[in-house]
Amino acid sequence: MKHVSTVIGSAICGALVFGIWPEMWKSYGIMGGWLAATILISIAWFMNHWLGVITNSDGRMWIDQGWAVGSAGVAWAIVRFYPNQLFVKCIPALVLCLIGGALAGVAAVAVKKSVPAFQTQADDSDKEDSNG
Amino acid sequence: MVEWLSTYNDIMGMYNAHIITTIAGAFFVTFAVCICWGKMVETFGPIGGMMCAAIIVGTFWVMNHKLPGFGINPEGLTAADGKGMQFGLIAQTGPWVDMGWAIGMGLWVLSLIESKPKDRLPNIVESTPRLLFVILGGIIGGAIVGLSGFTGAELFGWGNSPVFGQ
Repeated sequence: MKHVSTVIGSAICGALVFGIWPEMWKSYGIMGGWLAATILISIAWFMNHWLGVITNSDGRMWIDQGWAVGSAGVAWAIVRFYPNQLFVKCIPALVLCLIGGALAGVAAVAVKKSVPAFQTQADDSDKEDSNG
Repeated sequence: MVEWLSTYNDIMGMYNAHIITTIAGAFFVTFAVCICWGKMVETFGPIGGMMCAAIIVGTFWVMNHKLPGFGINPEGLTAADGKGMQFGLIAQTGPWVDMGWAIGMGLWVLSLIESKPKDRLPNIVESTPRLLFVILGGIIGGAIVGLSGFTGAELFGWGNSPVFGQ
C-alpha cells in the first residue's frame, strides 16, 4: 500500500508540474514560471513530504519528489511531442544533471560538518540516539 | 578557451560551455535545497517548506530553466546556424531534463553519506524500490499530461521548435 501511495503522490506531482508550468511561463513570462513553482511545488511538497504520501522514514535514504518531476518531464516531452522526441537525446544532459546533483550532495555533507548552524543540531541528535 | 567553449559538441548535443553550466546549475540548486530546506522547515514548520518551494525552487528555476518571452514560443528562437538557443543553465538536448533529477540525486547521495557505514548497503537496497516507484509515478503523471498533445490543440506552435521536435 505504501508503494501505491508513493506512485499516486508522484504521479500527481509530475502531472501538476508539467500540466501547468509550461503554460504559466508561456502566459506570464519568467514571473509565471516563478509563480508556478510557488503554487505547484508548495502543495506537492506539503502532500508528498510534509504529510508523507511519498514513503520516507527516519534513518533511511531520502527519496525526493524531484525524481518524480524529472521522470515526468522526460515522459511528458516524449508523449507530448511524439514522435519527434527520443529518450536517447536527453541522456547527456541527464547524466550531467545527475553528476552536478551528486557533487552538491557530497559538498553539502562536508559543509554541514563545518557550518556552526548544523553543529548544535548534530549534538542534539547524538544525545537523542544515546538516550533512546 | 573561447573557441572551445563556443564549439558545438556533437556527441553531447550541446555547446561545450553547456557542459559546465549544466553541472553548475544542477550543483547550485541541489546545494541550496540540501542546506536550506531542512532548516527552513525546522524554523517555520510546513510554512517554511512552502516558502522554500517559492524562494528556492522558483528562483533557481529562473536561473536553470528560464525561457525568455511573453506569450510566444520563446524556445523556438534559432541561432544563425539553425541550432536552438538556450537561455537557462541546464541545457535541453531532447526530452525535458528537469533540475528535479539533480535535487533527487543530491538528497539521495546526502542521506547515503550521512547514514552509518554499516547501514549504507541495506539502505541502498531498501530505497531502490521506493525510488523506482517514484520514477514510475512521475512517468505515469507526465505521460498522462502529455496526452493532451494528441488532441490537436496547438496554440503557440510548439511543433516548430528546434528543441521540442521539428
